[in-house]
Amino acid sequence: MFESIEHTIARLREQQYICDRKLATVAFLALQMQKPILIEGPAGVGKTELAKVVSAALGRSLIRLQCYGGLDEAHALYEWEYGKQLLYTQILRDKIGGLFEGIDGLREAVARLDLHEDVFFSERFLVRRPILQAIDSPDPVVLLIDELDRAEEQFEAFLLEVLSDFQVTVPEIGTVKAKTIPYVIITSNNTRDLSDALKRRCLHLFIDYPDEGRELEIVRLKVPALRELLAAQVVAVIRRLRALDLRKAPSISETLDWARALVLLDADALTPELLDETLHLLVKYERDTQRVNEQLAWIAEPIQAQPQSMSSEAALTPPQRPAEPDTNFLEQRRQEHAARYFTNYRGRTDGRTGGA
Amino acid sequence: MDAAINRFIFLLKQRGARISPAESLDAMQALARVALHERETARTVLRCTLIKDLRDLSMFEELFEQFFSLPKRAETAAPGDEPSPAAPDTTIQTPDAAAPATVGGQPDGDNAHEDALDIREYFDESQMVTHFNSHQDPHDFSLAEFGQNLVLSRRRELLDHAMQNALQVLKARRLKNASRAGELNFDEAIAALDADLIADAVTELLDELSDAEIDEGLLQKLSARLKGGIAQLPELLKRYLERELALRQQEAGRAARPARPRPDYRFTEQERREMTEIVQRLCRRMRGARSYRRRIGPQGRISVPLTLRRNMKYEGIPFQPVLTRHYDEKPRLVAICDVSLSVRNTARFMLHLVYNLQTLFEQVRSFAFVSDLVEISPYFDQLGIDDAIAAVFDGGLLDTEVDSNYGRALERFHNRHLAAVTAQTTVIILGDGRGNRNPPQVWALEAIRRRAKQLLWLSPESRGSWRMGSCDMPLYEPVCHHTEVVRNLRQLGEVTENLLRRSAIRP
Repeated sequence: MFESIEHTIARLREQQYICDRKLATVAFLALQMQKPILIEGPAGVGKTELAKVVSAALGRSLIRLQCYGGLDEAHALYEWEYGKQLLYTQILRDKIGGLFEGIDGLREAVARLDLHEDVFFSERFLVRRPILQAIDSPDPVVLLIDELDRAEEQFEAFLLEVLSDFQVTVPEIGTVKAKTIPYVIITSNNTRDLSDALKRRCLHLFIDYPDEGRELEIVRLKVPALRELLAAQVVAVIRRLRALDLRKAPSISETLDWARALVLLDADALTPELLDETLHLLVKYERDTQRVNEQLAWIAEPIQAQPQSMSSEAALTPPQRPAEPDTNFLEQRRQEHAARYFTNYRGRTDGRTGGA
Repeated sequence: MDAAINRFIFLLKQRGARISPAESLDAMQALARVALHERETARTVLRCTLIKDLRDLSMFEELFEQFFSLPKRAETAAPGDEPSPAAPDTTIQTPDAAAPATVGGQPDGDNAHEDALDIREYFDESQMVTHFNSHQDPHDFSLAEFGQNLVLSRRRELLDHAMQNALQVLKARRLKNASRAGELNFDEAIAALDADLIADAVTELLDELSDAEIDEGLLQKLSARLKGGIAQLPELLKRYLERELALRQQEAGRAARPARPRPDYRFTEQERREMTEIVQRLCRRMRGARSYRRRIGPQGRISVPLTLRRNMKYEGIPFQPVLTRHYDEKPRLVAICDVSLSVRNTARFMLHLVYNLQTLFEQVRSFAFVSDLVEISPYFDQLGIDDAIAAVFDGGLLDTEVDSNYGRALERFHNRHLAAVTAQTTVIILGDGRGNRNPPQVWALEAIRRRAKQLLWLSPESRGSWRMGSCDMPLYEPVCHHTEVVRNLRQLGEVTENLLRRSAIRP
């Protein structure tokens, strides 16, 4: 159990997960209020990881449901095991025959069979999918519903009953109520808006990239083999990369991968050459690579600088690109000039000229 | 405390956040489970229970700052709204002069608490513990602004009463000097608060506190302390009222806008019919999302459960396999339409197109922009076509008379509504791409294309004129999947035909 916010922070730290107070407050409240957490944020900031460490910290098992397009309730909630039902009917044929001994008349036989109908639609023939598993488990579990935004909107509707009342309705059996309340964590990469009904039932948490101090702490904790100086340099470079407007900013997991790679390469300190050679671990799009190469000198600044001066930087803004003589501009001006005299082109219908 | 939180939620809703009663209850429950002495904890708790949309986050932060801290002084209460420092009244001098003296008299060195009167002078810590469920070290105990608000909010009716009086006086003043209509002077409002009224308020507040669950001894201690500090309580109240006044004024600012005469944008029956037909064809061309459920059909994969069930009658021997597959659903659409003056003639046509799209397609979100971008789908859903289009051109939704700014509109869309675009969405942009030399922000369009299934740009200008003047179409064109020239129904028909043919060639 998490006893207080401070206790939550400490327990998560034991599991090598460094979080801020904000996150800990939500994690603590979710347990206290028995409410699901909905986590949004960019990829690779530790959304899924949180579920893993919470399950470890609470000593509960983790049940994971990875969402994808086309996921339906047969894969998430439950499914009937038709094959097994059929097999049982075949094997038990004699027994079923015995059931009707001494009965004459179809009506009576059906009535008799009716008494045993529930045998074949019992939980025995139910395949438990992750959500039903989580609800039905005798010990409380952590249920991770990963990347819910990938599933269709209709699927969200199935979750509503589970999330608010912790029960699942199986038409043939009835309502399966939770024996223990699972700790539910839902993650979303925000590729689409989740429905209000779902959001209403959850505590909402937005995780962003950590600040420099926390990230340094994470790197030191996760990659202890990395030298102190190098760790500071790694974090400073990553910060600068994120300040560049990249299509895919390096995430925490990529930072850690890079740090591990540097350990493997047995680097003492980051040099501009080393940075250049290992950059592809961090930058994954061609356009991003170009942009980074343009700004390489600026990114490499903290490598040369003394480590003390790094922490003092307030706001990171990459230097403006030197204004290159714009040949298009002249061309454009010439065309504009021409357009001013060109009055009856068909693009305009209101008789005005010039920009509007 | 409930009253304060309720009020806060009310203000959040007024600013557009969607908060259900269930969420309000959650917030109260959550607050009861944490210690409230820390402002940040309270902020996190309220944020995680009330705000479920990233777009509301900045508004929440702003309102939280505003609501759970008392304004420093009248001059900082509403920086923009202060019309003139040379107010005709001189009565303001009194509270102004009194304030620094009383605040400064306290042994309160740090700036963090300077803006809010430190209420711990008057209230015993143990009482606070019972009230606010706080478990903090008593030496370190300080009731932050949050707590102060809770105390003050206990007597809302009283404060409302005081507010009413102040506003009455204010209205009377505004009638006197009509030249300054529309301006509200805060100094006047504050000065208008009667000294008597405040004295009453203090007594009532004390009464109220004595009614609360505090034991006798505590109350005595409390009133003993209050005697020393009673001069400061009016000050506290005043600041509270100032803040309320500022918030109310903002509410008032949100009130109705002046209506304009409506020009006629009607369509003939013929036009409507043709448009519907063409859009239906377009609809067929645009492939939608894969269906959520598999459907039984002649092709697809064998569905084991269904096959078994159907073949029960043959003792489970699968004579009749059942095949199921996913089908394409109706496509999702996002239409972004330029309605500026330069394309006014075609904008009418374009909006007609958007309207039709919205009626035919299941999931359409439409946006109109000139410089600002607004979502118009709710209007198109509820109103008839003529009313809906008139509503857009009226200028009530957005200013249609400024220069169009494509870059800004695209950036807006990217920042606010990008989540509407998914891998199943077709985005249609209607406009001439003349951004009046504003930055074109092609990156925003690129980001939209990356997420969308398809990006179509329909421009009313012929290709030849795209290179003329300040047209950004040459920049936008390579980003789009298709760009087409559409100015009237005939051209739209051709384009649809074209798209259909292309889809026929494709596998």
